[in-house]
Amino acid sequence: MLRRDFLKTSMVTMGAISLASSELLAGEKSRKFKVVLDFDIKYDEKNYEAKLWNPLPFNAEYQKVKFFKFDGNYDNYNINRDNTYDAKTLFTSWKKSDKKKLLHIEMEIETRYREVSMKLIKKASKENLPLPENVKLYLEPTEHIPTDGKIKEVADKITKNMTDRFEKVQAIYDWVTETTFRDPKVLGCGIGDAGKMVESGYFGGKCTDISSLFVAILRAAGIPSREVFGIRLGKSEFSKALGKSDAKGFANISTWQHCRAEYFIPGAGWIPSDPADITKLELVERLDYNDPKVKKLRAKYINSWEMNWVGFNYARDFELSPKPTQFPLNMLGYPYGEIDDEVLNYYNPKTFSFNFTSQEEL
Amino acid sequence: MKIFLSLILAFTFAFAQKVAVIDVEGMTCPLCTTAIKKSLKQIDGVSNAKVRLNTRQATVYFDEKVTKKQLLKAIEAVGYKGKIISIKTE
Repeated sequence: MLRRDFLKTSMVTMGAISLASSELLAGEKSRKFKVVLDFDIKYDEKNYEAKLWNPLPFNAEYQKVKFFKFDGNYDNYNINRDNTYDAKTLFTSWKKSDKKKLLHIEMEIETRYREVSMKLIKKASKENLPLPENVKLYLEPTEHIPTDGKIKEVADKITKNMTDRFEKVQAIYDWVTETTFRDPKVLGCGIGDAGKMVESGYFGGKCTDISSLFVAILRAAGIPSREVFGIRLGKSEFSKALGKSDAKGFANISTWQHCRAEYFIPGAGWIPSDPADITKLELVERLDYNDPKVKKLRAKYINSWEMNWVGFNYARDFELSPKPTQFPLNMLGYPYGEIDDEVLNYYNPKTFSFNFTSQEEL
Repeated sequence: MKIFLSLILAFTFAFAQKVAVIDVEGMTCPLCTTAIKKSLKQIDGVSNAKVRLNTRQATVYFDEKVTKKQLLKAIEAVGYKGKIISIKTE
């Protein structure tokens, strides 16, 4: 894979990963999306070398990568999970040259509505089972997800006198969805600096900001939780604010990255949630927190995800492999690229440049 | 001969490159490094700048006409706070 100017093609069929116990209400009806990611790395000098790390979806009961293919004129590549969070990454690099730097990725992704039954969650929560070792990573603080100081104060205040895990989750979810609001001026999905949000008292943000605040408070309250970085793929059945496509099911998704969240209750497993989309619905449809449509989504998104979206990873404040010049990386919901020590602006697909599309099978 | 040496010294002094190491507060993600680098390189007299997220430091290469104030102002202009740690002449 070291010959330049030779079009390389690689195809990988990805196997399913074993199912988590929480995926008990994955929907029967599936949705299928053909996703195409095109990169043409730009820079303001003629001769340059480039490196690109692109997040790839994980497999689970509710999302499966049925087909995966990539080609381009890169000089080297690898697919790895060599990082703390097991985040699957396609790394490609181009040696110094004045030639275009191209990468084309095609995927077929099948998704199913994801919900964990409220009955199961409440029953498991009452049993108060011990936490398994493999979820304890998601109780730890990171640079942007502190679990002490003001975050801990907020968590203690919200969950005062509560012992039941799900009761705490419900109280934190209600507090986050009521306190935060979507700030359209924030770039991309936001930084997700939960500590800064609480310190500053400014609760405007986007999906990473709001999900990170939810996660930080949950962790501070002793509930394992994590952000799930991914991208919307098509139309939402609930609201155009949460995903749309044209009449033929086609959408340009270059800027549709979206961060969700999960929390863990022993006996019920990882439970999907999306507090940030409550605030997006409110802003886009100009609805009040107590509007019936918002209430309906609040009730749904404490334990389900509409699957017009695919998840990539749970990684926060971590190091990619091979190690980039700049580290640690805040999150990998977007492609990450470097030219020498300069980071390509992943919030701007046109200057980076990349173009992502999704075609739903209707 | 003395005049000649004086001229060489004066020439060397006038074109000596300086290197400043600056601690930068407020960087939260890799993109911050690029914003700071670009802002520093816009100063007339700055030949190069390297900014690292892991150390939260900028290393700036510049000539005599650039002032400390200009360097700090360029960092402030993109939303960060700089503190000069050292300046050396190369």
